[in-house]
Amino acid sequence: MSQVTQTRTLTFSQAIRQALHEEMERDERVFVWGEDVAVYGGIYGATAGLLERFGPKRVIDTPISETMIVGAAVGAAITGLRPVAELQSSGYFGIAMDELYHKAARWRYMHGGVFTVPLVIRLPEGAKGAGPEHDVSPEALFLSASGAYIVIPSDPADALGLLKSSIRDDNPVLFFEHAGLYAHRGVVPGGDHLVPLGKAAVKREGSDVTVIAWSRMVGESLRAAEQLTAEGIDVEVVDPGYVRWTWTPSWSRLPGPGGW
Amino acid sequence: MTAIDSEKLLELYESMVTMKLWDQTALRLLQEGRVLAGYHSGRGQEAIPAGGVAPLRRDDYLMYAHRGFGYTIAKGMSMAAMFGDLMANTAGATGGLGAGIPHFADPQLGILGQGGTLGSCFGIATGAAFSARYRGTDQVVVCFFGDGTANRGAFHESVNAAAAWKLPVVWICENNGYAVSVPVAESTAGRIVDRAAGYGMPGVRINGMDVTEVYRATCEAVDRARAGEGPTLIEAMCHRFRGHYEGDPQVYRTEEETERLLALDPITTAAARLTEKGVMSREQLEELEMRIQGRIDDAVEEASMAPMPGPERLFEGLYV
Repeated sequence: MSQVTQTRTLTFSQAIRQALHEEMERDERVFVWGEDVAVYGGIYGATAGLLERFGPKRVIDTPISETMIVGAAVGAAITGLRPVAELQSSGYFGIAMDELYHKAARWRYMHGGVFTVPLVIRLPEGAKGAGPEHDVSPEALFLSASGAYIVIPSDPADALGLLKSSIRDDNPVLFFEHAGLYAHRGVVPGGDHLVPLGKAAVKREGSDVTVIAWSRMVGESLRAAEQLTAEGIDVEVVDPGYVRWTWTPSWSRLPGPGGW
Repeated sequence: MTAIDSEKLLELYESMVTMKLWDQTALRLLQEGRVLAGYHSGRGQEAIPAGGVAPLRRDDYLMYAHRGFGYTIAKGMSMAAMFGDLMANTAGATGGLGAGIPHFADPQLGILGQGGTLGSCFGIATGAAFSARYRGTDQVVVCFFGDGTANRGAFHESVNAAAAWKLPVVWICENNGYAVSVPVAESTAGRIVDRAAGYGMPGVRINGMDVTEVYRATCEAVDRARAGEGPTLIEAMCHRFRGHYEGDPQVYRTEEETERLLALDPITTAAARLTEKGVMSREQLEELEMRIQGRIDDAVEEASMAPMPGPERLFEGLYV
């Protein structure tokens, strides 16, 4: 019997916070750690209020030690916990590359599948006026990180639903959040809103041409599609939202709109 | 100080002999072309895995180093599975992925695996210790690494966090004097043990060629960790008898140096103690050695019977 649930309007950042809140409420094994995530609430406010609700055991400010943040999250994940670790900027990926690429992604595989590595690494990305090393979108670097998922939401509803699904998944997830989206508002379904991993979303139906976009470019593509309507061009916008190494796209009729 | 009775000394001796005979067997298989993996002999350093793993409970966690397979033998890993990984066949714990540095693990025994990029052990050890405390257990993590690995940046990040959070970890550095080919004096500032003071934790430098000393120091560190008093750094001074890997030309040291080391064999020292105390006669020790070799030969035979994996193995277990 499905409960009648109300939609709500949330910013992307609030949706992330809501996902963390709901999953920590649901599962005591879930904890959050990273730089300035506890008292400060995260530099984008995505973890604000978690310390007050869940206490210092489960919401932990770490030293500025990205190698340790990711490496120790792997250690916690293979011994029964479900870490959600934040790298303050995805630009710090290189400091923790061995831990992300070899350890998080492949610890299970290289040890013959005797472990699961149920962890989520949150990686804020994208241009925000913070300089060349912070303003990067490095998700493509991880396409060859066999064993890990790359998940990239494009709006608040997906941010909530994909993060909750990522936390519940037993595979390691690199969860990229475009910093330019944090303040965007959107309607989010109520209840236990889960977006399944591995399914492309048709964000706009159209019959003339298909645009594949992810993260912040989905919104840009939707705006462009509206403009093109005036010119009589009907654009379909597809958001993969999720990529993995051995991924087979859910579309089998490329090219051609409507086949997703 | 932890008392070591004759029974315990014999147990530690048996553990070291098993490691030595395992090593000799692995080298023989390598010569016969039956081992596909690379092998870093642990000959000469047996006192550290034997004395460092013996204080652990079954549910305590182990991050092992790449030199020899003594750590996992002492923690109870199936020897047939380890030989299977050396032979890269389906008897291995990895089910046939075992080439290169074997990555066997057994979560039931607290064996958390090994990274080929040395130094990645540090973060995982800190995380496992965090996890043990989070879950309200009194499990302890022991992390073994070499003097070379101690110079990785991951050491600082992970050892600092474990000390700041008073996590139950015992860091055991095996200082054998060489990081592959580079002498410690040329690569390392100060003494590794002195870094402990910088992290506000106890540090102790011990004779890593004496199994009783390793056992005592580890017992104390494990007790502290289990009592919630935080990590300890142990620097065990030792010597490796063979090259970094099999085939290492060892141009960085003389043959005389290597030969002199043999007089310091931790197994010979322990054997002399056992016979002097009258615990065992020479003949009894030889019989013991034959029994152990029999167990190892059985494991080799069991492993040898397993088939090689098919190409489909490459993609198995990549995702849950």
